[in-house]
Amino acid sequence: MGLREVLARSAARHAHVLVVEVPGWDGLRMATERAVLERGWRLAWSPADADVLLVCGPPGPRLAAAVDLVWEQLPGPRVRVDVLDRRDLPDALAGACAGLLDDDHHRRDPRARHGAQDHGGHDGPEDHDGHDGHAGSEHHGDHDSSDDHGGHDMEMSPGGIPLAEGGDDRDGLEMDVLAVRLGPVLPHWPAGLVLHCSLQGDVLTGARAELLGAEHEDGDAADPRTRALDRVVSVLALAGWDDAAERARRVRDAPATGDARPTTADHPTASPGLARLRRRVRRSRMLRWSLRGLGPLTADDVRRLGLPEDAGGDAYDRLLHLLDDVDEPAPPGGRQAVPVDALADPVVGLDLAAARLVLAGLDLGGLSAAPAPRPEATRG
Amino acid sequence: MYAGVALVAVVAVLSILGMYALHRATAVVADPLHTLPFESGWVPQQHALSRYHVRWYLASLVFLAFDVEMLFMYPWAVVVAQVGWSAVVEMFLFLGALLVAVVWAWREGAFRWV
Amino acid sequence: MGEPLLTSLPAAAGPAVVTVAPAWAVAVVAVLGALALAAAALDGVLSARSASAGGALGAAGRPLGEASRLLRQRRRTTVQADTLLWRTGGAGLLVAAALMLAVVPLGRWTVADLAVGVVWFNAMDVMVWALVWLVGWGANSAHALVGGYRFLAHGLGYELPLMFALVAPAIAAGSLNVGAVAAAQDGLWFAAWMPVAFLVYLLGVAGFSVWGPFAPALGTDVAGGVRAELSGVDRLVLETGRYALLAAGAAFAVPMFLGGGAGPLLPDWAWTLVKTLAVLALLVWARRRLPALRPDLFMEIGWLVLLPAALVQDLLVAVVTVWRS
Repeated sequence: MGLREVLARSAARHAHVLVVEVPGWDGLRMATERAVLERGWRLAWSPADADVLLVCGPPGPRLAAAVDLVWEQLPGPRVRVDVLDRRDLPDALAGACAGLLDDDHHRRDPRARHGAQDHGGHDGPEDHDGHDGHAGSEHHGDHDSSDDHGGHDMEMSPGGIPLAEGGDDRDGLEMDVLAVRLGPVLPHWPAGLVLHCSLQGDVLTGARAELLGAEHEDGDAADPRTRALDRVVSVLALAGWDDAAERARRVRDAPATGDARPTTADHPTASPGLARLRRRVRRSRMLRWSLRGLGPLTADDVRRLGLPEDAGGDAYDRLLHLLDDVDEPAPPGGRQAVPVDALADPVVGLDLAAARLVLAGLDLGGLSAAPAPRPEATRG
Repeated sequence: MYAGVALVAVVAVLSILGMYALHRATAVVADPLHTLPFESGWVPQQHALSRYHVRWYLASLVFLAFDVEMLFMYPWAVVVAQVGWSAVVEMFLFLGALLVAVVWAWREGAFRWV
Repeated sequence: MGEPLLTSLPAAAGPAVVTVAPAWAVAVVAVLGALALAAAALDGVLSARSASAGGALGAAGRPLGEASRLLRQRRRTTVQADTLLWRTGGAGLLVAAALMLAVVPLGRWTVADLAVGVVWFNAMDVMVWALVWLVGWGANSAHALVGGYRFLAHGLGYELPLMFALVAPAIAAGSLNVGAVAAAQDGLWFAAWMPVAFLVYLLGVAGFSVWGPFAPALGTDVAGGVRAELSGVDRLVLETGRYALLAAGAAFAVPMFLGGGAGPLLPDWAWTLVKTLAVLALLVWARRRLPALRPDLFMEIGWLVLLPAALVQDLLVAVVTVWRS
């Protein structure tokens, strides 16, 4: 049918891609984003918005389970691509484009999905180490068996999922506490990080962080400069300033696409794009007002979290630092990894938007899954 | 007088139904995918539909006071030129009193909730 | 009808507007669709310009490409979703926008010459509160729910200033009829002598369209917010509704603040369209310049800056109006 074909062609030219980064493969992820945007495609923020699921790097077993569950949530037409090498990107994307056009395959897709219902079959990563700090957040073990509607425990857990439990808020009112996981599959989020949150409204009243790792370690990591600019992109995007985030992405990707790049870091205004970005960010009073006072860290906090010395101050300070010091040479010897357990501390008590802005601006370097002796961070 | 408005609503609804019909004809699969809500790759532990804690409930009470005031404001706007100065004085004394309440609510922290 | 004060207006020769047959409702919705498409195309061009160095003009076709993508995509429903409310919310935005545009005269013609057109517009924009929240609620998804409540928090901040901004032209015209308000700006546009009200009105339009600085309800940080679970035609209808609201808000600014169809050379219907497109372009462009206003911070701005400013504007307008009469 003619109309279908025209629509399919046009749709494939405007595909949306959900990119998943495996820890240690951020260089590949950024190259992927660049390749996706160069095709005229867009980056998706959720599986509902995505036509293509693109996994950068080899996920470990638990991360792979999370990716599989997200894959089941893509509406279709859907194409999944796993990439391990930048050189494979052009072929992989061309293949994805061809895959999107395969109407017959997508029409058969519903039957290929697992289980009686589309969301059966995959359980996400096993949550084997404990619960989220309040009763009732038991594991969803019997999800598969009871997800046909009208199950045996309809009142307490319609659809096989329990209802939220109550809990006292800071004003002494009893309110529902919702257990929500942030990460690992979440755009502009540290790769592999999972934050098990207790939410009252949109405020984090408790959190526990863990790391879902890669299958093997020899990743495709970006250099520190690119990584710093990538954090700028994330902060600006999360602050809701799409335009500035796009410009920052162009500055980030400039070396790779062949633009002039300063060979030495002796002159901070060497790259005109970066200078313009700096001016733009500094001039925006709304951005300053929005980031000022968020996630303040004292020198003590910085030491405890294992962050670089200049991570003190609030989210706005850190953003300006990122932009100003991007051309400074990295200190020799690298630095020790940030213990992932400590990450819950700076964000508990913030609302979701603020928590994400704070986390995106922190230089986490390589996260370390080594356990710190603190089970859960809770702060009023 | 309201026939035009009603017909606009009908046409708008019809065009939305038209979009849905077009979708049925062109989608790769017409029936919706039944799926879990997105939670970063996890099966939700609980239903999201819950007693959501809105911390700005105080602000919404102040809002309600002003919102009711709008009932007076619209008819007043039509007659203020006819009635003259007394209408202006009365209305803005009233609004001034409400503004004092807003300032008081602000000092009590009703507009900050995080 | 029957506005006694209409007659006291300067140079109100004959009726301000002519009510056309209700069948022209089709034209109202068609114009709304065209305006929404124009806004989406402009946004596509501007986005492409900031994403890459050149070749931006091809991006004008972006909205059509996105539409075909969504028409082809499968719809989704989530576990235990409140489907009826969810779909009502998504589709309602477009209906609300059409009902706003219904009271805007195109030059001299209108399909609904309501005596209380200003209040009608206000009622429609308040309806958007419920609709956006329903989209967030219906999906049974944490991200969407947070988005829905973010919108309500924004609404608490922008709605009252918007209402008081809408009252200012009504005071000066002594009427709540949209055509009468347009006709009352003989020689001097209301935007010129009540700039604060105009500015607050534009902020309000961005607010109820969940646009630009008021988009945290659709934020990147909550996976797309209220639309986190929407795909296929459901998403298409929601996005169309947003652009339509932006377009209807821009169109309503023309009779309220920009002198209606008044202007040299061109016929008055053309001037209405030209002014609408100009306001629409301004709103679309503004999105590129501004980061999001976080609802918790905006609440104080709304109540302590915008609301008093709008009230002082109303006071000034009332004093001038009484003075002149």
